[in-house]
Amino acid sequence: MYHYNDFDRQFVHARAAQFRDQLERNLAGSLSDDEFRPLRLQNGWYVQRHAPMLRVAVPYGALSSKQLRALAAIAREYDRGYGHFTTRQNLQYNWIPLVKSADVMDALAAVDMHGIQTSGNCIRNITSDALAGVAADEIVDPRPYCEILRQWSTLHPEFAFLPRKFKIAVSGAVEDRAAIAWHDIGLQLLKNAAGEVGFKVLVGGGMGRTPIIGTVIADFLPWNQILVFIEAIVRVYNRYGRRDNAYKARIKILVKAEGQKFIDAVHAEFKNILERDEQGAAHIVPQAELDRVAAHFVTPAAVQPQAPIALLNADASQAYRRWIARNVHAHRVSGYRSVTLSLKRTGQAPGDATDTQMELAADLADRFSQGELRVSHDQNLVLPWVRESDLAELFLAAKAASFATPNIGLLTDMIACPGGDFCALANARSIPIAETLTERYEDLDELYDIGDIDLHISGCINSCGHHHSGHIGILGVDKDGKEWYQVSLGGSDGSTLSGASVPGKVIGPSFAADEVADVIEAVVQTYRAQRAAGERFIDTVRRIGLEPFKAPANAVRTSTGAASHVATTAAAATA
Amino acid sequence: MKFIDTHQDAWHQVIGEDGPKPDPDPRPHLLLSLEQWHAVRDHWPAGLATGVIVPNDADIETLEQDLPRLSLIVLQFPKWIDGRAYSQARLLRSRYRYAGEVRAVGDVLVDMLQLLQRTGFDAVVLRHDQSVNAAQRALGFFPAHYQGDTQDNRPWFLKSAEQAAAQVQ
Repeated sequence: MYHYNDFDRQFVHARAAQFRDQLERNLAGSLSDDEFRPLRLQNGWYVQRHAPMLRVAVPYGALSSKQLRALAAIAREYDRGYGHFTTRQNLQYNWIPLVKSADVMDALAAVDMHGIQTSGNCIRNITSDALAGVAADEIVDPRPYCEILRQWSTLHPEFAFLPRKFKIAVSGAVEDRAAIAWHDIGLQLLKNAAGEVGFKVLVGGGMGRTPIIGTVIADFLPWNQILVFIEAIVRVYNRYGRRDNAYKARIKILVKAEGQKFIDAVHAEFKNILERDEQGAAHIVPQAELDRVAAHFVTPAAVQPQAPIALLNADASQAYRRWIARNVHAHRVSGYRSVTLSLKRTGQAPGDATDTQMELAADLADRFSQGELRVSHDQNLVLPWVRESDLAELFLAAKAASFATPNIGLLTDMIACPGGDFCALANARSIPIAETLTERYEDLDELYDIGDIDLHISGCINSCGHHHSGHIGILGVDKDGKEWYQVSLGGSDGSTLSGASVPGKVIGPSFAADEVADVIEAVVQTYRAQRAAGERFIDTVRRIGLEPFKAPANAVRTSTGAASHVATTAAAATA
Repeated sequence: MKFIDTHQDAWHQVIGEDGPKPDPDPRPHLLLSLEQWHAVRDHWPAGLATGVIVPNDADIETLEQDLPRLSLIVLQFPKWIDGRAYSQARLLRSRYRYAGEVRAVGDVLVDMLQLLQRTGFDAVVLRHDQSVNAAQRALGFFPAHYQGDTQDNRPWFLKSAEQAAAQVQ
């Protein structure tokens, strides 16, 4: 993991002091609420339905056990004893009073953490593959590059007030586990024929009201030019991105509107920086700097290759077999595995963890994973350094701590935003939908028979729950002050299993809250009836299209069964 | 950073009853709109202290040839959360080596000061309700930053590596 040096530490403490000054001016009345808002947002403080929400940055999802314990202590001392891990690998609190916010920033700074740029119209926390540095299919470890990007983007003076938020995701493996094509900038690390490292650069992806897949703007950019190239992209965006309409302000709209002109403008700006600007090449990253940062990400000394062992004995229980099959992943070091701690179980919202659970996860990390954890973009925790010979013991410990639901990649491993229960932006609640579905699919035999499904729920069109990229997407919409849900099928996050990134398509007029679980069941039953042998859900949807799913879905309508409702919401859905 | 008191300011715009005068007469310390400047630039006397106020959606590139004749460029923040003028200032300093005054006007808040300073502004007209003391405090929170800026475009890692090398010698 990256370890802060004196400069990094001084910097987050300075940021906490700056925030305290802003908070005090706000409380004293010399900084208005309206003007405090963008400042607190850039430190992760939203004002939500019940209280402010704090989004703590977990850079590229990497956490130490010490940091997780500090997060647990904050949950206990300042919140109501829990937190929520997000699709952007961050952690959110929901109940901290704003007057305590500066104290919490100090508590975070004490363990080298902060909320810098977790919100606001700036370059957000950089996300990456939860298996970075340990994945068996890794081409280049993305973490040093993520850290270099993190430092460069932190309090960048020119790019603090962009037209809209700006998200960067980095993948360094064959399999894209970071959904890079759905980001404002997606970076894929590659090696060319000569073995040199570079980035494929995508720009202009995004979800929200207008889902768009990123466009390739550079096929192979030498790694050391990445900061300058991103500076060029963000400068063109800062100057020419739309600011008249928040729904059209993301870079995706600029890229789509301008097409090749945008790409040419970025390349021209890149050239101008290097050839014309005062010290224009200063951000070409020297090998020595990459080496300095990469030294933080070496394999822990205690991790030594082991002879691989058989993971399953003949007498292994079905529960253990399922856990090995679903929650345990291939590792680049022989004799090691990475293990997902599932945060998807009955009784708790997807991605939620109590203070006690956070401490239990920290204990597991200390016992089994070199004190290190990852937050995955599908809202689970990952232990990256587990010895194969420890798996049986870890299974029992994880089970006792509620983390061993063997459902990774299955229907109940769903992504869900906090929705209308917490979020002031939401049109509808996500958590009760997730809860109903989790309860309905508790039977593991059934869940395993259904197989791989990405089910994603967003409480509004802002798409924090990534409904566009779900094989099944559920989107909360508001009509006449009531909660309705649109269901879409066939979306992809860009993984091998899901196929090329694409938004799902809506199957019809929206459904009432109490119909949603029945609709999902009807969709799933249609798949089970229609699938070819061994065919996964997403492949069946691709093969037979949406049409066969529509009649069974409509058949479960009760409150929306009236023809008049179908007609009006159909109009709304196509509007 | 220079804090401008508008009552003491030497610079004046030339505005008639129907808005900016299209073709003002030469005088020192006139702050001209971009349109006015374009109308007079071909016959404007050399050596006259002249300023131009530039909208934040104007391509700053178009002023490149004129910069040696201008002592002041005023950049605008119609809303403080509209960050386009930071890029304009950055280009003026880093790309065109503009050495005159770059001034921020409009919705200029104390919490912008650090960003303004680091993108090349050297003068501000704070919004009327803003405190100069708080603005000066806002400039002092951070001893240094990660990325370079118009004052020194070397990022922190280059500066610290060079310092370390110097100590070894």
